[in-house]
Amino acid sequence: MENTNFIVQFLNWLMTFDGKTLVMAASCIGAGFAMIAGIGPGIGQGYAAGKGAEATAKNPKNNKQTVMVMLLGAAVAETSGILALVVALILLYGNPLISQVTTQNSALILMASAIGAGISMIAGVGPGIGQGYAAGKGTEAVGKRPKLQSVIVRTMFLGQAVAQTTGIYALIISLVLMFANPLLNLL
Amino acid sequence: MPGTLGFGPYKILIGDFELSQTVTTTWFIMAVIMLLVLWLTRKREEIPKGAQNFAELLVESINGLVKQTMGEKRVNFAPYMGTLLIFIAFANLAGLFGLRPPTADVNTTLALALMTFFTIHVGGTISKGASYFKGFLEPFPLLLPLNIIGELATPISLSFRLFGNIVGGMIIMSLLYGALGYFAVLPIPAVFHIYFDLFAGLLQSFIFTMLTMVFVSMAID
Repeated sequence: MENTNFIVQFLNWLMTFDGKTLVMAASCIGAGFAMIAGIGPGIGQGYAAGKGAEATAKNPKNNKQTVMVMLLGAAVAETSGILALVVALILLYGNPLISQVTTQNSALILMASAIGAGISMIAGVGPGIGQGYAAGKGTEAVGKRPKLQSVIVRTMFLGQAVAQTTGIYALIISLVLMFANPLLNLL
Repeated sequence: MPGTLGFGPYKILIGDFELSQTVTTTWFIMAVIMLLVLWLTRKREEIPKGAQNFAELLVESINGLVKQTMGEKRVNFAPYMGTLLIFIAFANLAGLFGLRPPTADVNTTLALALMTFFTIHVGGTISKGASYFKGFLEPFPLLLPLNIIGELATPISLSFRLFGNIVGGMIIMSLLYGALGYFAVLPIPAVFHIYFDLFAGLLQSFIFTMLTMVFVSMAID
């Protein structure tokens, strides 16, 4: 019967490796997971681009203004993608977890931390879509009423900043997991 | 803990006192702002020219921004909001000069956000009196805990928004410089500096100040 329990088999097999190897392997998975957050900015910026094209078609004279607002809004919508990239790059090039490995037990926790840090960044999908939507609506509004550009852009930035909040929380948890995991002290 | 050393500020131990890089950079930024203020207001004339022109433009645009966001009566908040805007902008731009931005330390941003937090609630209590606290019981009294949690979340989200954006830019820049090595003399990092330090830095300082103004004026009016 023991042979059929493949989860236990897998875990036993994992434990045959060195602690540092396990953490490195988990970091690779975590870096991959983190980049899933790119879905959000992709959708959001695509929406903003569509709205930009629509605004230009309606009011070709203000093309420069709409393109500028679209690019500004899209640049803010990019933030959660960049934060995910930061986490993935830390896991790959500046990995702080490997030096924290002391025992096989701590290796397991750090391994989970690496994967968790990556998964946490998936939250970036939400802010990415939301900010991109705001960018699109801002572009549309500037296309319709170019004189109100400064007020529209200001409101758009404020709303986008508030929409960013959950993504920033995800980044904080991800950084805590990587740099100062409080559970390691409980071992 | 060993892991906390990664991208954190350097610390010097003087006896029992820990002097962090954040504090020294903040001192430096304070000195720069002081000198700038002294230089901009050196010779004041009826008809402004040169540096005075710039100072007047800055003061007028900050006054205008405060008036537009908080209302004509609240222009007495302009000095504080202007200080906040200028300090955070300088702190975020410190990365351009090879310094570690003080706002990439959660201690700085949480201190700034706590100042906002107390401005909101002290201002609300002064202007509305006891009826300010009745606002926590709306729309119905059962929501009191939720309202209190919402108020406590304000400084946390304010501080971590600034911190997260700046620390993300700082980490990506230091990784980029590490990856480029000697090739960093090429103007490759300049492009990234424009986005992470100039665009994101100035945008975040503006957003922090704007959100402070919006929250304070919501509590007061």
